Amino acid sequence: MKVTIRNFISTQNGLTRRQFLWGTLAGTSTLALGLPMYRLYENGFRCDTFIARMKDYQLDISGIVRSGFQELGVSPAEIKGKRILLKPNLVEPHSEKPHINTHPLFVRGVAEAFLHLGAAKVYIAEGTGHCRDTIYILEESGFSEIIKEDRLPFVDINYDEVFKKANAGKYTKCSSFFLPGILKETDWIVSLPKLKTHHWSGVTLSMKNLFGLMPGSYYGWPKNVLHSMGIEQSILDINATVKPHFAIVDGIIGMEGDGPIMGTPKASHVIVMGRNLTAVDATCARVMGIDPHKIHYLSAASGRLGPISERNIRQVGETIKSVRINFALEENMPAHRYIRI
Amino acid sequence: MITAENVTNYLEQTILKRKADNGGFLSSIAHKQPCPVATSWAILACLACGNKTEAIKIARMYLSTLQREDGRICLDENYTAAFWPTALAILAWQGATDYKNQYNQAIQFLLKTTGIHYKKKADSPLGHDTSIQGWPWIEKTHSWTEPTALSILALKIAGCTEHARVKEGLRMIMDRQLDRGGWNYGNITIFGKELFPIPDSTAIAISALVGSVSRADIDKSIYYLKSQIDKIKAPFSLGWGILGLSAWNERPANIEEKITESLALQKKYGAFQTPLLSLLLIACKAPNGLPGIFRTES
Repeated sequence: MKVTIRNFISTQNGLTRRQFLWGTLAGTSTLALGLPMYRLYENGFRCDTFIARMKDYQLDISGIVRSGFQELGVSPAEIKGKRILLKPNLVEPHSEKPHINTHPLFVRGVAEAFLHLGAAKVYIAEGTGHCRDTIYILEESGFSEIIKEDRLPFVDINYDEVFKKANAGKYTKCSSFFLPGILKETDWIVSLPKLKTHHWSGVTLSMKNLFGLMPGSYYGWPKNVLHSMGIEQSILDINATVKPHFAIVDGIIGMEGDGPIMGTPKASHVIVMGRNLTAVDATCARVMGIDPHKIHYLSAASGRLGPISERNIRQVGETIKSVRINFALEENMPAHRYIRI
Repeated sequence: MITAENVTNYLEQTILKRKADNGGFLSSIAHKQPCPVATSWAILACLACGNKTEAIKIARMYLSTLQREDGRICLDENYTAAFWPTALAILAWQGATDYKNQYNQAIQFLLKTTGIHYKKKADSPLGHDTSIQGWPWIEKTHSWTEPTALSILALKIAGCTEHARVKEGLRMIMDRQLDRGGWNYGNITIFGKELFPIPDSTAIAISALVGSVSRADIDKSIYYLKSQIDKIKAPFSLGWGILGLSAWNERPANIEEKITESLALQKKYGAFQTPLLSLLLIACKAPNGLPGIFRTES
């Protein structure tokens, strides 16, 4: 899917004045010159992402996340009293394959960082996509201890009460989404994905992770309604509608090859974080040696939900070059072909 | 304190406390409105106990108020595509002479409803036969293991064992069995790699297959489930695991102790929802699997 002038104009209402001016300038140039200038400037989106090295889950994840907050301008005043929803990526219950799910110690570190900044409450919430038994996944994946010891309430999104919200993206034909009630009770939605390749969408990162906010009772197991509407289009619609606030990516051990389940562990030793999920995912893709412009959902999100061009993403912490580690791609998967940088 | 000795009483009492004024059952005490899934499971739990006639009667009446003209029972009145509770409602109405019309309409709805099916292209990355019809979770999507197995269970108990749709559904379930044994949500291989089994899907699948396939056809899957059951504490997998194995004469030992351990997880995760409590109670009370609870009803 390509971003067209038509849908670029249709999103003006959601843009800041600066973004609108950039967009107008770029759109005018496009019409006058026939060049996709709006893509170059991405509607004036300028975002920061923070990259940190992290060798091991036993290290001070909370401290690194707090450093990232500081670099990204997330202050205690902004977090104080806020109710934070952490959305890890919990897919299947296989205790011997810890590279499938976001690591529980990673979630603990992030929760500690938010509480350190004065968050009133931190929830963990997930609507698992393959297995109906969320408690079984939590028990098998080590989350059980975190929930018990840290007293972090867990919300099973698959069975939460829902509310209806109009689709703000309009990439699919879906007019509205059923969203879990917990979203109304939280101030910040934070996506905590695993750094993984994906056999259908090329990569699965902070934006695709929000599939787990869609209740299985309403969207099935797997979330087949979303697959039927188009995975990439659904990613865009969900992100445009939910409007997540932050992403922190568990790339300490990622997954390469046949993700999201059957791939192999990849010790990439990074954490990537930022306020804009499109920018975070674009940075993650580059860290994985993948060109974000060749990932359909990122290409379509460019300039609409955030930037993906390097020129529009200010990198703080480590540089991409210093942490880049190519993730193996599978030639037999169309989504993996020709996406290497 | 919940013990193996009082666990069934605890489950019964807790479920009955979830009864709403209109006869339906709430998913949890925090929920404001009853729901068809919680109500159906609560009815099944009451049937398993055998002595809750009044609660069953008004709960069935509540279910009947949710039925659509075409026979479906939807999860949410604002979302008719989510018709997967229909199979549960058929089970809940099983044997109820007062609701024969509703019951028959629901059966007819399932018999004429299927998912999206198509002939697979030669280069498809999917391993299963996408053309075999089963039942989906949500209207106009593909058919998957659990809704198909639940529909088969409901239709077989309703006496439709020889119906072509049931036979095809059984064929679909068998097609989705993993070579390594067990089932997951319903994909066997993608891009040539076999996926992993999941206990709950496996247990529901083997429950549906009782009497329709030979033990040898699914021995590897029973073996897989038996290898998992002793370490499972999560209520959904444990409840279905006990029922599935019981249906194949492999009932695990110390059921009440296992269920007591499972209920202790409520300290971590909060009170279990009504369907989970009901499933655990049925697992205690049904030594031959889910179909066994209907044999004693008058």
